[in-house]
Amino acid sequence: MALRLINSAVLRQLASQLPKSAQVGSVAGVHTLDKIGKREIVGYGWNGTACYADRVDYPMPAVRFREPNNEINALRTKEQGDWKKLSPEEIKALYRASFCQTIAEVQAGTGEWKLHLGVALLFSAAAIWVAVLMNLFVYDELPVTFDEEHQKAQLQRIIDLEMNPVTGLTSKWDYENKKWKN
Amino acid sequence: MLSITARNLASALRGSLVGTSSRVAAVRCLHGTEESAEEFDKRYEKYFSRDGIDGWEIRKGMNDLLGMDLVPSPKIIEAGLRATRRVNDIALAIRWLEGCKDKCGDQKATLYPYLLEKITPTLQELGIPTIEELGYDKPELALKSVYDA
Repeated sequence: MALRLINSAVLRQLASQLPKSAQVGSVAGVHTLDKIGKREIVGYGWNGTACYADRVDYPMPAVRFREPNNEINALRTKEQGDWKKLSPEEIKALYRASFCQTIAEVQAGTGEWKLHLGVALLFSAAAIWVAVLMNLFVYDELPVTFDEEHQKAQLQRIIDLEMNPVTGLTSKWDYENKKWKN
Repeated sequence: MLSITARNLASALRGSLVGTSSRVAAVRCLHGTEESAEEFDKRYEKYFSRDGIDGWEIRKGMNDLLGMDLVPSPKIIEAGLRATRRVNDIALAIRWLEGCKDKCGDQKATLYPYLLEKITPTLQELGIPTIEELGYDKPELALKSVYDA
């Protein structure tokens, strides 16, 4: 009973909030119309959103890059006439009103790889120093079995015991002539 | 349609692997008849030349074409340029040129001059500058880093 009471209270609260939150995101918000200002929608954007991004594989985005102002509107009027009368500066201004970056600029290198390489080298250097310092100050001396005499004795033992004679180490040992096979 | 790489590969395959290509063709047939390059060119030329085409449709056609594995033929490029003229959008014309140049990929040295040569009469007729004349073949402006803004 108590549970049901709480449940209905929660439901009532949710119901009272629902219309409010539904009005916060307007229809325009859903379609990003409130984000683009006075920019003209000129094409189909990704998933139908009116967004702008410079992409080489999809060079014509859905909205113009700049909001129209008096200058651009004057140029647009002039654009209606003969394009030969437009100066290169005016053409560039019109281009930049529609697009942010030229494709050459999109493809230009940012030089960011230098930063990444630098950081990678920094971390590598730090790792090497950690290894060196660990060897100097943390680890014990290597066990005595690591010197050459003990290693030779170990090898002799393997040969004497004929360990893994078919495919392993001693398959290379010639037991009759007491030397390595060629 | 100058889908150089794809076309060369296709003709090479057709020459050497007859059995495979016929099998591929059989599979393709399920999706209707294969469109020839000329028909493709004509279709897009017609699309861009249609009376009353608007900027939205032009952009749609251009974005579609530039998303395909091919270089648009000069005729399509010209039709696209004329379409931008009809909707009075020179920025779109230049973007279209840039996009077509970019589609030449690693063949820019050979293919782009050819395209340019073919479309020069149209460019001059409409008064559209080439990318090089505008200086847009090289980066003109640098974007400010978002961390400096």
